[in-house]
Amino acid sequence: MGQSKLIASTRHKPEKRVRLAKSRPRAVTVAPQLEPGAPSDLDLMQGIQAGDADALSQLYDRYNGILKALILRVIHNEAEADDLLQEIFMEIWNQAKNFSSQKGKPLGWMVTLARRRAIDGLRKKQAYARAEERLQNETEQQPDAWVNNATEEEILLSDTRSLIRKVIAGLPPPQQQAIDLAFFKGMSQREIAAKTNTPLGTVKTRLELGLKKIYDGLKELRDEL
Amino acid sequence: MNFSEFQNQARLYVIGALEPEELEEFENARTKFGKKGEDFITKCYALHEAFALSLRPAKASSSIKDRLMAMVKAKKEA
Repeated sequence: MGQSKLIASTRHKPEKRVRLAKSRPRAVTVAPQLEPGAPSDLDLMQGIQAGDADALSQLYDRYNGILKALILRVIHNEAEADDLLQEIFMEIWNQAKNFSSQKGKPLGWMVTLARRRAIDGLRKKQAYARAEERLQNETEQQPDAWVNNATEEEILLSDTRSLIRKVIAGLPPPQQQAIDLAFFKGMSQREIAAKTNTPLGTVKTRLELGLKKIYDGLKELRDEL
Repeated sequence: MNFSEFQNQARLYVIGALEPEELEEFENARTKFGKKGEDFITKCYALHEAFALSLRPAKASSSIKDRLMAMVKAKKEA
């Protein structure tokens, strides 16, 4: 489903989003939820470090959707995103020895790696011009595109996702936009200032305030993330 | 730079949004705050995970996993 279609389909249901936003005081759980007895992410990462291909297979099944979404958000091309997804999981296999549980959770490490590769890929493949054009259109719609691209079923699927989306949705749109351009497009503050025709100091303030609000808002998840 | 300012800069740092002139000052502060600073930076990387989880998962082509596992197998056998 195209992004514009998703936006259109959610814009007419504001009352549903409000109801969902109020229905959260349950315990927060990690997304995706694991079957009882399933190996943890750390178990799988340690398996990969030991050369267990089945561990990589399970990690792929668990997180390919999240990483593909992240890559797509950066490069906006299905075929390139699939190729990059394969390269990233190969890099996870090759670089697993560099993962340390003392430095964070496996998913965080994989997302950091995937984001870097996706942004590098965007630049190396010189797709920037095409992405710029798409971005120009998206920028005007960005707050909705980021926050409201989930169906009710998907939101209910995961308390963690629901909370994260709620935190992000609570930011003023200019802060959402600045963070989106920095994180998903790899833009510097100066590039964001130029792109949005905003003073550099304002961009910096928006980033600082927005990131602090998200960071503080995620304190409830601190042990999970 | 006090620790509160360092925290603000650290959140920008982990998403790669520090400008070059800010980066040098940040690295100096990072040295100054030592383990306390490193621990905070590690926590900030949870933002990456949060942003990824905020997206709707996308379906990958079914052939990708086959190709990936074939590459892994070939590498193990090499």
